[in-house]
Amino acid sequence: MANVNADSRAACTLSVSNIRKAFGINEVLKGVSISLRAGEVLALIGGNGAGKSTLMKIIMGIYRADSGTIEVDGCPVNMANPSAALSAGIYMVPQEPMLFPNMTVEENILMGFRDKVPELRKRLATHMKELDFRLNLQRKANTLSIAEQQLVEILRGLLREAKVLILDEPTSALTFGEVQSLFRVIEDLKSKGISMIYITHRLTEVFEVATDVAIMRDGVITLKGPVGEFNKEMLIRGLLPSDVEMCTGGGCTYVPVDYEHLDPVLEVQGLAGYGFKDVSFKLYPGEILGIAGVVGAGRTELISTIFGRDKTLAGKVLLEGKDITGLSTGKLLKAGINFVPEDRHYHGLFKIRSISSNTTSALLNTRAIGRVDINRKKQKQISQKYVDDFRTKIVSLEDLIGSLSGGNQQKVVIARALSTLPKVVILDEPTRGIDAGARGDVYNIIRQLKDAGVAVLMVSSDIEEVVEIADRAITVFQGRINGEFSHDEINQDSLTSASFGIVDGKVVTE
Amino acid sequence: MTILKKLLKRWETFLVLFLILEFVVFGAANPKFLRPASIMTAVVNYISVCIITLFVTMVMIGGGIDIQVASIIGLTSIIEGVLWSDAGFNIWAAVLCAVAAAALCGALSGFFVAYCGVQPMVVTLGGSFLYSGLALLVSGMSATPAYQGISGFPEKLKGNIFVDFRFLGKGELFGVPFQIIIYVVLIFFCVWLLHRTKYGERLYLIGVNKEAAEYSGINTRAVIMSTYVLAAVSAAIAGTLLTSNVNSAKYNLGSGYTLAIITAVVLGGTSNTGGKGTILGTVLASLIICIMRYGLPLCFGVSTQNLDLPVGIILVVVVLGREIAGKHMISSLFRRLKSRSA
Amino acid sequence: MNIVKKLLKARWSSSLIFLVLLFLITGLANASFLSYSNIIACFNTATMYTLLAIGIAFVIMTGEIDVSIGAVLGLSASVTGMIAQEGGSIGKMLICVLLIGAAVGLFNGIGVSFFGVPSLIFTLGTNGVLRGIIYMVTEGRTIENFGGPVAVYGNMSLFAGVSLYYLITLVLVVIAHLVTTRTRRGKYFIAVGDNAGGATLVGISVLRTKIIAYVICGVMAGIAGYVFASKYGQVMNVAGNGYEMTAIAACVLGGISLSGGLGNMVGAAIGAVIMSSISRLLVFIGLPSTYDNTITGVMLIAIVVVDALTQRRAIETARRKRLLNRTESKPEEGGIQA
Repeated sequence: MANVNADSRAACTLSVSNIRKAFGINEVLKGVSISLRAGEVLALIGGNGAGKSTLMKIIMGIYRADSGTIEVDGCPVNMANPSAALSAGIYMVPQEPMLFPNMTVEENILMGFRDKVPELRKRLATHMKELDFRLNLQRKANTLSIAEQQLVEILRGLLREAKVLILDEPTSALTFGEVQSLFRVIEDLKSKGISMIYITHRLTEVFEVATDVAIMRDGVITLKGPVGEFNKEMLIRGLLPSDVEMCTGGGCTYVPVDYEHLDPVLEVQGLAGYGFKDVSFKLYPGEILGIAGVVGAGRTELISTIFGRDKTLAGKVLLEGKDITGLSTGKLLKAGINFVPEDRHYHGLFKIRSISSNTTSALLNTRAIGRVDINRKKQKQISQKYVDDFRTKIVSLEDLIGSLSGGNQQKVVIARALSTLPKVVILDEPTRGIDAGARGDVYNIIRQLKDAGVAVLMVSSDIEEVVEIADRAITVFQGRINGEFSHDEINQDSLTSASFGIVDGKVVTE
Repeated sequence: MTILKKLLKRWETFLVLFLILEFVVFGAANPKFLRPASIMTAVVNYISVCIITLFVTMVMIGGGIDIQVASIIGLTSIIEGVLWSDAGFNIWAAVLCAVAAAALCGALSGFFVAYCGVQPMVVTLGGSFLYSGLALLVSGMSATPAYQGISGFPEKLKGNIFVDFRFLGKGELFGVPFQIIIYVVLIFFCVWLLHRTKYGERLYLIGVNKEAAEYSGINTRAVIMSTYVLAAVSAAIAGTLLTSNVNSAKYNLGSGYTLAIITAVVLGGTSNTGGKGTILGTVLASLIICIMRYGLPLCFGVSTQNLDLPVGIILVVVVLGREIAGKHMISSLFRRLKSRSA
Repeated sequence: MNIVKKLLKARWSSSLIFLVLLFLITGLANASFLSYSNIIACFNTATMYTLLAIGIAFVIMTGEIDVSIGAVLGLSASVTGMIAQEGGSIGKMLICVLLIGAAVGLFNGIGVSFFGVPSLIFTLGTNGVLRGIIYMVTEGRTIENFGGPVAVYGNMSLFAGVSLYYLITLVLVVIAHLVTTRTRRGKYFIAVGDNAGGATLVGISVLRTKIIAYVICGVMAGIAGYVFASKYGQVMNVAGNGYEMTAIAACVLGGISLSGGLGNMVGAAIGAVIMSSISRLLVFIGLPSTYDNTITGVMLIAIVVVDALTQRRAIETARRKRLLNRTESKPEEGGIQA
């Protein structure tokens, strides 16, 4: 499986050899090689930050590799820009839709094509029927939901009739029915000899649709082969680093939460907002409540509304009995809640500010770092304390946070959320995009919070993660809670099924 | 040694060196250049730009831009003139009213930017039309025709020493023109506000990432609006000083200063995408341009109309150089960090 | 009926309605305004601003800005005048202004797009450089007293009182509009401004598109300079000062968003007419020209505030509706079967 020799490379539609890529000091790809034959679907799986998206962007010409080669049909291609990739017959359906917000759906799909428009329209209609996707083509792209945007991106890819189609987590926002339609299309493309790279974190999909599978971890491929040679356990083992302590199956001592003698610190009653309805749950001090569900289920909207970032339509949120519904962010911080946002690049990091500035930004409304003037000494003290506690790898507190690795950046953002000494901490995808070592550290931090009696509300798309550390879990499906799981009831299957709307083997409808 | 290396990488160091270079070159070409009194006069002639740039820096650090300040100079001036000359106000009351009016102008534009989400460039563009238009209308309310300018401000001359209102523009303390003293005071104020207070920290954070600032509980809208108010007030101060200096209140005082102000702020290292900039940089840049406008005509016979060219060239060369150098600096910084952690 | 609906939805239709309203209000205040010659005059005087506006519209659509066009106009006008003084041909003038405009545009485009300097700053520098060059080239003198064919064309009308230059300008507007809305490559400008990353993904070269936008902008400003010299017969050093602000205001009034990705050429042309007509309209209403700037300022601010608020409201409403739908919808057809 290690080296593909020149002859078989020539038979491959796409052959990627020994790609290396570093961003600054961060080495993201450390010598990756994959190859695809006609009609093959290579499932590429790996944790957050493993380097999958970066590799795809290099193949697509968006980034340039530091070293390594790309060959299409045996001939080396210089992927200088996306035009080169498009000419070579490669197209990527991106993970995050990159549509033109002010243009119509049709304009979005047809942008960049050289063929005649009427002909394109006919082909587009055919593809839409195959996907069973009904959408008003004249709608402006900025009115589409994430799922609809993703489908539009997929349509773009189909219309390209590329030789190699890269699908980067194509189902993350799709409903079950849409996913099945997509799989039918993939089978059809397979039979036409089109190769696909299918990136996913859903192991079940791998067995449904892929012919080969490769596992990436920390910038290298750890396992590779036809899908028939693997089963789920082998894949999971391939994903885990060997040196991180994972507490599975009774490995760590689990300290159960004493629900009998505790009052809930946070109570959500019949909360309704934009994207969710009838949400009620209780959160107890010293517990970790996991919120699972597929992307687009409404979890982020739920916690954003709890945190005052969006309008509440009905219901109440009580913190230690006090009504905090709809309060401004500043007041919520004072009341004792804090929040680690999902996308740290857009909502979390002050990239060109120092580590201490980032750590203490939530303290500006308190006296902790001064009244009018800033007490720089205190700023440093507080920042250093968290750096020590979290084992954050830094050179100096005055360095820009942009120079840290993803995992260490996340630690700083979490430190900021904890700096206001909240009673409730809300974490939205806390380990997204960070390497396994840092992830272990983050889990330890979360466990420390639990020990200190802080209540943790954790939204995660990583079912394994929820299984790993949550005391209780709830699943959100189409904007409603459709399952509540005690610690013993939490397992991969029940959570995954509930995320897709299946509870106790039955469809849960309105 | 590392401190020296750190200093070398900073933009302000380059500005200081450039300023020193100017003194050397101009001083060598014409010793008269180095006369303290002349230098101070040159600074006084440019003081409006210098003062306003301090506060526009803050607007731009917050991620905005303000191109209406030049119009507010004229508006302030004519309001003072009309209130004092035609309405019989006490001169200091007139000044206060004018400053308050300027603050309102800043608040209006700031409100639209911060609370309505309109782009700063467009709002302040509209503001520049509106406030210069209002200035013209106000001057129409005076008995004095608009093109003439209201003069004769209070100035009890005692043997060539100015007092009362005209002291602001013409007076001296310990041999230093009062305007420069005001400028220095404002510099200290801005350094404190921007680099030492929580307000300044909030402003930088907002400029770097507004969303993240809101998640940190910062009231971004109030802070952003306040920067426009401060910029407008600084324009009012500049207008008052200018009026006092030339003894004439005219509606179009300060017109044409906009590009000079923005140039100085940008040259000083402030980025118009927000989150970057220092008072020191702005001060140095203002002085660099000011000294150049003084030195070139004096030492090399360049006529005053021609001064746009060297300033424009400096701006282009500087920003280009910054982009090119910036890419190298970042990669070499990372290489150094990598070898240190290995 | 479909065509009417489509027209009404177009972003420039609100600008057109606004223009018509302005004319009507003026007519109500002073009936003598509503004569053919008056209204045509509003358009004729808009020639220069229209050229500037559609040129800068290309740049603004890609998400950038150019504050050097006033200086380009000034330089081109001065050069035109100087050539006229020497008795040179119109062809020579046109070639010169085209070269000047293209060269400046290329310079701006490379600085902004290739080197990545923020556009406001870089074009600010270019502006200063050009102003200095104007002074050097003209040796500080006003260029005047040039007659000949160039001045004749400047004041010539073709049919129905429409000036020759405005007619040509209209043709350019139509061409620009069709190119940017109908041709494949023409749509790249808006695409780049709407989502540069997305544009790269579908194979559009952001670098090349922006450079071309700046070159077009420069060329338009050059042509506007020629028109200036031709019409006024006299070019001072400060000619064109502040015109860039008016051109930007014209674009904004015409529905072009400064953040890029929104708007079209017809809107820019209408906005240019509005901007250049204001003083004339105010005269008819009875307001002296001292009210010009105030009215312009109020108008500009009012329009952008209303536009920003309605846009935000529309996006918010759409988002909220979509999110609300999620909780009401049943599982899709052909979906989950237990």
